[in-house]
Amino acid sequence: MDKRLKINGQVRDFGDRLPATLSELLKLMQIDQATVVAEIDGQIIPRTAFGQTALKEDAVIELVRFVGGG
Amino acid sequence: MDKLVIAGQEFESRLFIGTGKYASNAIMAQAIEASGTQMVTVALRRVDIDNPNDNLLAAIDRKKYLLLPNTSGARDAAEAVRLARLARAATGIAWVKLEVTPDPYYLLPDGEETLKAAAVLVKEGFIVLPYINADPILAKKLQHVGTATVMPLAAPIGSNKGIKTRDAIEIIIEQATVPVVVDAGLGAPSHAAEAMEMGADATLVNTAIAAAANPIAMAMAFKLAVQAGRLAYQSGLAAQTRQACASSPLTGFLRNE
Repeated sequence: MDKRLKINGQVRDFGDRLPATLSELLKLMQIDQATVVAEIDGQIIPRTAFGQTALKEDAVIELVRFVGGG
Repeated sequence: MDKLVIAGQEFESRLFIGTGKYASNAIMAQAIEASGTQMVTVALRRVDIDNPNDNLLAAIDRKKYLLLPNTSGARDAAEAVRLARLARAATGIAWVKLEVTPDPYYLLPDGEETLKAAAVLVKEGFIVLPYINADPILAKKLQHVGTATVMPLAAPIGSNKGIKTRDAIEIIIEQATVPVVVDAGLGAPSHAAEAMEMGADATLVNTAIAAAANPIAMAMAFKLAVQAGRLAYQSGLAAQTRQACASSPLTGFLRNE
């Protein structure tokens, strides 16, 4: 069965292989990792740990960044 | 102008700027520069997966401006605490503008949830600047749990209506042991000047600048108004009277009496 992650509320399908780490996922999605904060299953992942953070099937990932606000 | 001190950090400017609603990042950057501010607010949102490279922070020089992330969008204390923690992971510093607004129509802050979140965040080492209704009792409670400021609203966010909560803000200023920042609803430089004349320590402005026909010039107008208002407050405003009180002598008229 295909391997999935839930990213920012949307389920995404990665075929038979998930990106190995959070860094790889961000690269695949073309997101500059210097500008985002990540939470996996409710746990905040420090930016310095993106490269060592392994991804498990069906993980719930939130990727957030700053936007204009008052 | 005298310096503003919040949580031990000094600020030359008493005007804080929100970064929402600008037509472009370039105009925002110029407006921030023109305002003379040293503190800008930002919001945290999900990355737009289809447009992942829109980067607000590229337009803000963090050596010149302290980044104050807000918890906008939080509907209760738990959501606000979560956003504050994410913001800290993003900025590397613990400053946060705490706002909890369960009702999107008027965006009025929930005092009870704000107080709850403030207590948690202060314990976790955050420097908490809470956005509140102009409620003097709540302001005292927040001070008591250790917030760095209190930020009463002048009118609902983005309404540009000016200071509709004047009497309550005066009481908050009178009783405050932390800086009072008037936030939300200031629609014109004269409103900001009024807040400063009342003795507010600073003002926070977003929509009135961002939605002006010329945001850069309007930012400068707010800068001057805040400076004028502060100077007026420090100079001691002359007393108001009900009756006229002549400025010119009431003797030596060119008539026989």
